[in-house]
Amino acid sequence: MRWEAGSLLLPSHADVEAELVLAALGGEKARCVEAAQAWERHADDLSVLAIGPRGPADQIAVDWDDVLAAKQTGSTVAGPLGGPVGGARTKPMRPASQPGPSLPRGGTRQRKVPEERIAAQRRRDDLLSLLALGYGFQVRLMGQVAATHAARLAATHTARGGGEQAGSGPALVAAITGRLAPVAEEWLGIDPDQVVVSLHSGPGWGSAELTGRGADRRLRVSLPAGWLASVWACGLARIGRHLIVAVQEPGWPAARVLGLRAPGAEPEQLDAHASEDSPADAPHWEI
Amino acid sequence: MNRERAETYLRLLAEAELRDPTRSLAGAQSSDAPFVVMPVALARAAWALTAVGALDLETAEDILADVELALAARIRPEPREGVRLSSGGPTWAAGLTGPRPGPQRFARARSLVLMNKLMPGGPAPGPATADTSLAGTSRTGASPNGPDRYVPVGLMILFHDELISGELDLMSYAHTAAGARFTATWRTRDPLGSRHHGLPPVEAISVTDDRGQRYDLLFATKGRPESTCDLTLRPDPPPDIGWLEITAPGEQAVRVDLGRRAERPEPQVDQISLSIGEHLLNRIAERLLSLAPEHRLDLRQQLAGFPSAPAHGAGPAGLVINLTAGLGATVAALEAAEVLSPHSPVPARLAALCASLRIGGHGIAATPAPDLPEPWLSMLTHYHRRKPDAAPAGDGFAAVAAALPELEGIRLVLLGLHNFDGGTWMDALALGRLPGLRQGPLGVDMAFPLSMWVRDGAGRWHAARPAGWYDEGGEAALTMRLTPPLSRSCARIEVLVTGRSAEVRATLPLCWGYSP
Repeated sequence: MRWEAGSLLLPSHADVEAELVLAALGGEKARCVEAAQAWERHADDLSVLAIGPRGPADQIAVDWDDVLAAKQTGSTVAGPLGGPVGGARTKPMRPASQPGPSLPRGGTRQRKVPEERIAAQRRRDDLLSLLALGYGFQVRLMGQVAATHAARLAATHTARGGGEQAGSGPALVAAITGRLAPVAEEWLGIDPDQVVVSLHSGPGWGSAELTGRGADRRLRVSLPAGWLASVWACGLARIGRHLIVAVQEPGWPAARVLGLRAPGAEPEQLDAHASEDSPADAPHWEI
Repeated sequence: MNRERAETYLRLLAEAELRDPTRSLAGAQSSDAPFVVMPVALARAAWALTAVGALDLETAEDILADVELALAARIRPEPREGVRLSSGGPTWAAGLTGPRPGPQRFARARSLVLMNKLMPGGPAPGPATADTSLAGTSRTGASPNGPDRYVPVGLMILFHDELISGELDLMSYAHTAAGARFTATWRTRDPLGSRHHGLPPVEAISVTDDRGQRYDLLFATKGRPESTCDLTLRPDPPPDIGWLEITAPGEQAVRVDLGRRAERPEPQVDQISLSIGEHLLNRIAERLLSLAPEHRLDLRQQLAGFPSAPAHGAGPAGLVINLTAGLGATVAALEAAEVLSPHSPVPARLAALCASLRIGGHGIAATPAPDLPEPWLSMLTHYHRRKPDAAPAGDGFAAVAAALPELEGIRLVLLGLHNFDGGTWMDALALGRLPGLRQGPLGVDMAFPLSMWVRDGAGRWHAARPAGWYDEGGEAALTMRLTPPLSRSCARIEVLVTGRSAEVRATLPLCWGYSP
């Protein structure tokens, strides 16, 4: 499997469609084809942001043995209502404000349990497979999810003339907070619980300010939802003493970014270079 | 109410919990124990937000399910101390059946479906459904144009034959759109005088009205505790009958005068303004006040070993600790959702209540309030005194029939009060927008949107909480249990029913009947 320029590729599978037809007729489906399908199914699933890593130090301990073990036993180790951990949903997470079917009740729900159980198991297997791909793929999938929702937010913002956020706002605020907080801790030494994030919309990169003292100290940062995709997922969140708030000219191994030296300061235009000896899935950038 | 802030709060709380996933390791030893446990603050906040309607159940469950998977994905089980090394490699933690931890880590039950159980402490039983009613019972919905007739009765109907004897204690007669029925307590004995669990022989009881019409009695305990029943008349009598004559096997006929007027208390209605967040916290406080004396806890002893962590095990101490664990997060969640003002006095009262019961680890940031509502103080005083007079009153029943003004879309009609086996129950009808329509995460007591207290003749307050109800389409048989129980000598009671926008006080005389 290969991720390149925003797309997931399967270079060893020249004709994926044909393989899928063969699999539908009883043939074996290659694991990487399964993973690619899972990727496609979850490319806008906000759960990917909720479950995936918060940074390189946040180790996800899921490997292919775990995936296989869960697949083999998931259907037999189900609980009283059927679903496994992470399998509470049978569909990708949608924003809470989007209309959806109401929760089935009573007998209807009971009748649906086997069906839901199968769907929940597949969902869990999907997510475990995506986690087992490793950090490099995980952050790129998260970037894709964040970019998708950032674009939707921007479209909503434009359509409504600003103001109200779309329903993915809470999930995106939490996703940015969860990833910015450890970066801010390294940047300023601030307690991650004291980082307060809001979504920035409209022109400009946003804002950052430090308020209060002691227990009331807060780093209040407003960033666009796209920060997760364009900055964090590229490993650019902090370079040296700078918090990177935007990318002006994306590129590899060089990019032009906007960085903050301190909260409240004007952002500086910086030329970043990926160091040659850094791993490809978690690049290390320098100025 | 700010739903977006509510969801954001819950998600940010999840982020905070995920910063140290090892705190969620269950440390359980059994094979069916969870690999990770849901952080209690998160579970309580989710429950509170769904209970007040700031977050829909599906979204809350989705968020918690993601947290569970995120926690499990970050923790790989390690061999425990004393691990046995075999030829096949290390044996993993007890209960893990495979060589790899995967199945147990990721194939756990979907605990979050049981959202109601996130708020333990003995949720009130949900409403039964009409499908479980006894055959022949009316299933018609209540109509606002029903007869609406309520009569206190206070008569004992004795019966005996060669197999069974006993009594039916008629507390009240009610005739509504759903039908006419007596609300009664009952007990049966075998020929040797021992308590018998058989049903009264209602099919052998004849009922005739003042016009000569005969009726059958249908016996049902729907929504009532074991000691209470509704005896429905079939066919439905005219709304204006003057009396009914009841003849039980082996006994003389007893005439029930239906000309007696129902108590028409002059209720005092006061407008109040409680936010739904305050209402929820008050209900939690009431539950806490009910639990402590019910279980006769020595919380100071039992809580010594559990300063902060909730006890997930069974037992009364576990119920109380579970009820209070994560209250700080509950308060913060309600404030975030803008259903609880930061200036509300209720969190401080709840903190004072916990302090009085020596319960720590609740996490409420507010300084305990210096004063508490009178009913709370009364209950606390009773609990702390552990008075010898706490011996349960003997069995007995009081004739009551009183319709209260509508609150929160519900009109309560009190139809009886009885002591049985050391407990006191108040029997009622709930007419209107019924609690069953909002079942789900409001399971604790919030499913019933009214708070109810009873003050006895000595000025002591008793919390009344729903012990069961049966929704029959706009009309529900409702029974509330009083904590602590009433003394039978009590000649009158004051009933205080509180909704969010108003509270009603009514004084009712009690006419007690006695068992032979």
